[in-house]
Amino acid sequence: MSFTGPGNYREEAAKTIRDKPEVRTSITAATRAFDAHRVHAWGQIDADRWRDWARDVKSHVLGHLDEYLEQAEEQLTANGARVHWAETAEDALAILGDIVREHGVESAVKAKSMLSEELGVNAHLESLGVHVRETDLGEYIIQLLGQPPSHIVGPAIHLSVDDCRRLFHERLGTPLDAEPDELAGAARDALRAEFLAADLGISGGNFLAADTGTVALIENEGNIRLSTSLPRIHVACVGIEKLVPKLEDVSGFLQLTARAATGQPIGNFVSLIQGPRKNDEVDGPEEVHVVLVDNGRTKLLADDAAWEALRCVRCGACLNICPVYRQTGGHAYGWTYSGPIGAIIAPAMLGLEEAMPLPYASSLCGACTDVCPVRIPIPELLVHWREKAVEQGLTPMTETMGLKAYAKLAQKPDLFAAAGSVLRHVPLELGGRALPVLAGWMQERSAPKSSKKSFLQMWKEGIE
Amino acid sequence: MSARDRILGRVREALSERTAVEHPGSFEGWRPAAPALPVDGLAHLLEAAGGEIVRQPNVDAAAAWLASFCADFGSSAVGETVPEPLRPPLPAGAPDTAPLGVSLARGAVAETGSLIMDARDGRRAQLLVPTHVVFVRTRDVYVTLREALIELADDLPSAIGFHSGPSKSADIGQILVKGVHGPGRLVAVLMGDGD
Ligand code: SF4
Repeated sequence: MSFTGPGNYREEAAKTIRDKPEVRTSITAATRAFDAHRVHAWGQIDADRWRDWARDVKSHVLGHLDEYLEQAEEQLTANGARVHWAETAEDALAILGDIVREHGVESAVKAKSMLSEELGVNAHLESLGVHVRETDLGEYIIQLLGQPPSHIVGPAIHLSVDDCRRLFHERLGTPLDAEPDELAGAARDALRAEFLAADLGISGGNFLAADTGTVALIENEGNIRLSTSLPRIHVACVGIEKLVPKLEDVSGFLQLTARAATGQPIGNFVSLIQGPRKNDEVDGPEEVHVVLVDNGRTKLLADDAAWEALRCVRCGACLNICPVYRQTGGHAYGWTYSGPIGAIIAPAMLGLEEAMPLPYASSLCGACTDVCPVRIPIPELLVHWREKAVEQGLTPMTETMGLKAYAKLAQKPDLFAAAGSVLRHVPLELGGRALPVLAGWMQERSAPKSSKKSFLQMWKEGIE
Repeated sequence: MSARDRILGRVREALSERTAVEHPGSFEGWRPAAPALPVDGLAHLLEAAGGEIVRQPNVDAAAAWLASFCADFGSSAVGETVPEPLRPPLPAGAPDTAPLGVSLARGAVAETGSLIMDARDGRRAQLLVPTHVVFVRTRDVYVTLREALIELADDLPSAIGFHSGPSKSADIGQILVKGVHGPGRLVAVLMGDGD
C-alpha cells in the first residue's frame, strides 16, 4: 500500500470506518493517551509562555530564513559536513543517489523521518539496489507490512498488539502469544545485525541551529543515535523550515516538542550532530551530508497566511486531539502528513486542487490550535484554503463534504458545543468573507437540534 | 543558477513584503514551581524516565561501588575519557558484544534529567551495550539545558548525545518496552567531590 493523494479521502475514510473498525479503536486509544500525557506535562510548566516564545522564535527565523540558511551552511561546512540543496523531491533523491553510487553503498539504516517519507527515499534507494531498513520499531513494523505511517510520531498506532504478534510470528518466528517485550527483543536482534552492516545512515532533523551548524534529533529508542553513529556515511535530510538561530534556542524546542508529543521532559535520546568524526574521536561517520530540502516549503512561505504552518515542529499534538483524525488515523488522508497539520500544508505543497478535500476534513472545532506548541492558527488556515477553493471553483466538495457534513455535525449538541469554539479562532471579518462555507456552517450553528445518531454514524453518512 | 540560489531567491521573494518578527530573547524555562536542587532534580527525572541512580560521595567510593557492580558481568566496553580508577576490573569487550558499557558524562542537566555524552568518549560503548553505567560529577550538573548548550557550544565534538533514560518504545500496541536498540538499563553514578 502506498499513498495515492488526498483526492480519495472521502472514500478511504469511509472504507476505514466501515471495514476496519479496529483501526479507530487503536487510533483513539493511542491519541487519547498521547494527549493525556501532554496535558500532564504542560501542567508542570508555564505552557503559555513557552508557546509564545516558541512561536516568536520560529516566526523570527522564517522572516530571516535566507540569512539563517546561509549561516547554517557556512557553519556546517566549517564543521566538515557537506551541504546540499534540493528544490524538489527528485533533487533530493538524485543527491542521495550520487552519494550511494560514489561510495558503493549496499545497505542503509534509516532513522524515522517524515521528510524521507515525503521524498520517497526508501523506494528510490531500493530501485538503486540498496537494501533499506527502517529502524524505529514502529517504522520497522509498517515497513514489514508495506504500509506508510499513520501518525507523525507513532507511525504504527493504528495496529494492535495482536496485529504485531501475527506479523512477527510470520516474519521473525516469534510465538503467536509473545509478549511485547519478546517481540521487541526479536526486532532488536534482527535490526542490530543491520546496524552493524550498514554503510549509510539516513536521518531527518528536528532542528538545525544556524550558529553552530547542529542538527538536533529527538527519539526514545536509540535507533537515531545508532543510525547516525555506526555507518561510515550519515545523510540528514532537513526541511529548510527547521532552522533555529542558536544552539541555545534548541533548549526550548527540545523540551516543548517532547512535552507536546509524548509528555516527556525530553526524549530519552537527543542527538546533536555537527559533522563527521574528528581526529580525536574513536568512532562516528567519516562523512556527514546535510540535504536542505525545499519541495514546496518556499510556496508555503510565500503565502501571506499559510506561512505560519512552517513553524510546525511535527509533534502530532493536533492529530491527537482532532476528532476527525481519531476516526480513521492517517492513511485516509492519502499523503505523508495527516490530520490538521496535513490539511493546512497540503494545499501549498501539493497544490490546492490536488489537496482537495483535506481543508474540509475538519469540524473547525479549534482544539488543534489550542494544543499547538507553536500556536499555528490551524482553523483560520483551513478557512483560508476553503476560501481559495471557492475562488478557484473547486467547490463541489464544499457542498458535499463541507456543508452537508458540518450541518450534520452541528445537529449534535455536545459536539456542536466543542465545534462552537471555532468562533474564538476565526477572525470576525472572515465570517463574511468565507461564504458560503463558514456562513452555512454558522447558520446551522444557531439552531442545533438534538440527534440520536452518533458522531460516527453521522460522519459516515456525511461522507457516503 | 544553482538550486541553492534558486531556493534562496524564492525565500527572499516570499519575504520581501513580510514584516519581520523580533527574536523573543532567551528561553527561560518558565515554571510555576521552583526547581529542586540540581542534583536532586536530575536524579528525580532520570528515575522517572526509567534510569537507576547511584550516589557516591567521591571517586574512590564510586570505584568501590563499580567493583562490586561488575561482579555480574564478564566483560565491558569502556569510554576513552573514563579515568583509571573508574575503569572496571573486567576483560575488555567490543561494544557490540560486551554486556556492560562504562562511560564518563561530560556533564548533566537537572531540568531535563539528561546525561551529556560526548563523542570523544566513544559512541559505540554508549549505544550498543545492554547495560550502560555513566559516571557524572555532581559539580558538572547544569541547572538548565540552555546553560549546558551555551557551554557546550564553545567546544563541540562531532556529536553529543543527551541520554535521559533507557532505550524504550511504545510502538507495539502502546505498551512500554525497554532496551529496544540502545541500552535497556541505564545506571547513572552521581559522584561528589567529598573525601
Ligand atoms: S501543527 Fe502544531 S500541534 Fe500540529 S504537529 Fe505541528 S506543531 Fe504539533
